[in-house]
Amino acid sequence: MKQLEAIPERPATPLGAQHRVAPRRRAAWRTALTSYSFILPIAVFGVFLLVYPVLYSLALSFRDATVETIVGGDMPFIGFSNYEQSLADPTFWQALQNTVVFTFCSILFQFTIGFLLAIFFQNRFPLKNVLIALLLIPWIIPVLTAANTFKGLFNEVGPINQIAHLLGLPTVPWLASPGFALAATIVANIWIGFPFNFILLYSGVCNIPPEVYEAARIDGAGYWRRVGHITLPILKPVTVAVLMLGTIYTVKVFDLVFIMTGGGPANTSHLLSTYAYQIGFSIYNYGEAAAIAIVIIAVILTLNLFQLFLKRR
Amino acid sequence: MRPPTFRSPWVYTVVGVIFTVILLSPLYWVLAGSLMTQRELFSPHFSIWPHQFVFQNWSNALVRLWPHFATSAIVSVCTSALTLLVTAPAAYAMIWLKVRGRGAILSFMLTSQMLPAIVFVIPLFILFSQVSLVNSLPGLILGDMTFTVPFALIMLSAYIREFPYQLVEAALVDGASQWRAFLSIVLPVTKTGMITVAIFSFLMPWGDLIFALTFITESGLQPLTLELYKAVGVYGIDWSFLLPGSLLTALPGVVFVVAASRFIVAGFTRGALH
Repeated sequence: MKQLEAIPERPATPLGAQHRVAPRRRAAWRTALTSYSFILPIAVFGVFLLVYPVLYSLALSFRDATVETIVGGDMPFIGFSNYEQSLADPTFWQALQNTVVFTFCSILFQFTIGFLLAIFFQNRFPLKNVLIALLLIPWIIPVLTAANTFKGLFNEVGPINQIAHLLGLPTVPWLASPGFALAATIVANIWIGFPFNFILLYSGVCNIPPEVYEAARIDGAGYWRRVGHITLPILKPVTVAVLMLGTIYTVKVFDLVFIMTGGGPANTSHLLSTYAYQIGFSIYNYGEAAAIAIVIIAVILTLNLFQLFLKRR
Repeated sequence: MRPPTFRSPWVYTVVGVIFTVILLSPLYWVLAGSLMTQRELFSPHFSIWPHQFVFQNWSNALVRLWPHFATSAIVSVCTSALTLLVTAPAAYAMIWLKVRGRGAILSFMLTSQMLPAIVFVIPLFILFSQVSLVNSLPGLILGDMTFTVPFALIMLSAYIREFPYQLVEAALVDGASQWRAFLSIVLPVTKTGMITVAIFSFLMPWGDLIFALTFITESGLQPLTLELYKAVGVYGIDWSFLLPGSLLTALPGVVFVVAASRFIVAGFTRGALH
């Protein structure tokens, strides 16, 4: 059986060279069946746990979906009301603005730190691989651990304020002050994300042949000139990939802000994701939460199209 | 590329160690703090070293977290195993079998990897409450798989693409079926890729909070992250539990990254950049 089904699958000659039509058709059918058996599990999973939720979110966003209407069994269609309601909420706009600021600042600093580390680790020196492994730790540990770490560091009586006090600087209740709370989460997120930037840029840097630098050095180009004129241009494709992946992952951030500030104080540090979660699971307005989720999807798809556009060029 | 050329490469090592120490100092604070009394931790004076080591913080945390450790391990192992079971054959099919719609599957997976968890949490919560998968570990595992499966498929496709297809072809000519070729040739050879993906698919649910927080409300079923999240109570934060607990939660990831950094780096850059 096994032998029969296997041989016609990858014929050495084009299919047209054979003339036994009926067995061939049966064989083709069998081949297709084998092929589909490989993807059946993921297809079932994808339909029920990925496609369905996205479509259901979309449907929910147009319905009055609260605990009562769900239990009652009829979620009335209410058109764009959920969208209108969230667009009318100043916290939504604050969360959108925070998401943009959070993403931009995180990426800027993560990339800069990652890049500087990458060109530093371009040198060969003892213990290099141990240090690289250690530098991956902030990224590999659960976000919860990192979030608790920075929740402690930025505590009103925590080490940052203790040191500020020692140096005679004013102390700030970071996580309880509007503005500073978001800044603290950004610092934490930079710490979580720099290793990802570092490691991808480092692998890019490793692929640059050393001769390229030799030539520039003979021409008398200084170190930073070589970085600017050789390393950066060669790394452009990696850079684009890193920045886009970083942006997409940063727009998704939830746990960090949820644990560190919970969106507070007074809703000033919400990201779209934590804001949507609060609407969904503190106020139990699933419809409106779904509408915000759809807005996030729209933002991410737009970024994605933008990336495709950049890649084309 | 050496800017000013130093005589000894150890100069770089020293600079590298300084960078590493600065960047990892937050974790040092957690480690030192986990051995302090809460009073010392948040006293007006900064202490870089515990006055007296309170090892009891760690033993208390271990005792309290132990059952949740087991829950997390069950959830993570199952998620990882099921993820591989679903994605490994699919990755093979994506690359080498002529399956209609594989382009659509791949790009859909790529897109869903980018979507925030909230997109899945709301509908799955509603769906799962109707089929009593809320407050059940299978429900949590299915939820966690919404982010491990797309990730694993993309990573594994990158690994399998680099596999020499002639080996499979030879087996097929010898009369092996596609499944046989997959199981006895491709799987063993792509072992490092499989292990890397398995470990990441373990670590992702291990650190998950949003699904656990939403799907699990009974205290008997709470994974580690949820138990730690609850340490932040209404009346303040129990830091002498939170700090050692956070480090205990980070343990599997740290062990893994230090033990296998080389091949995660290789694997990750490959998967992410393709």
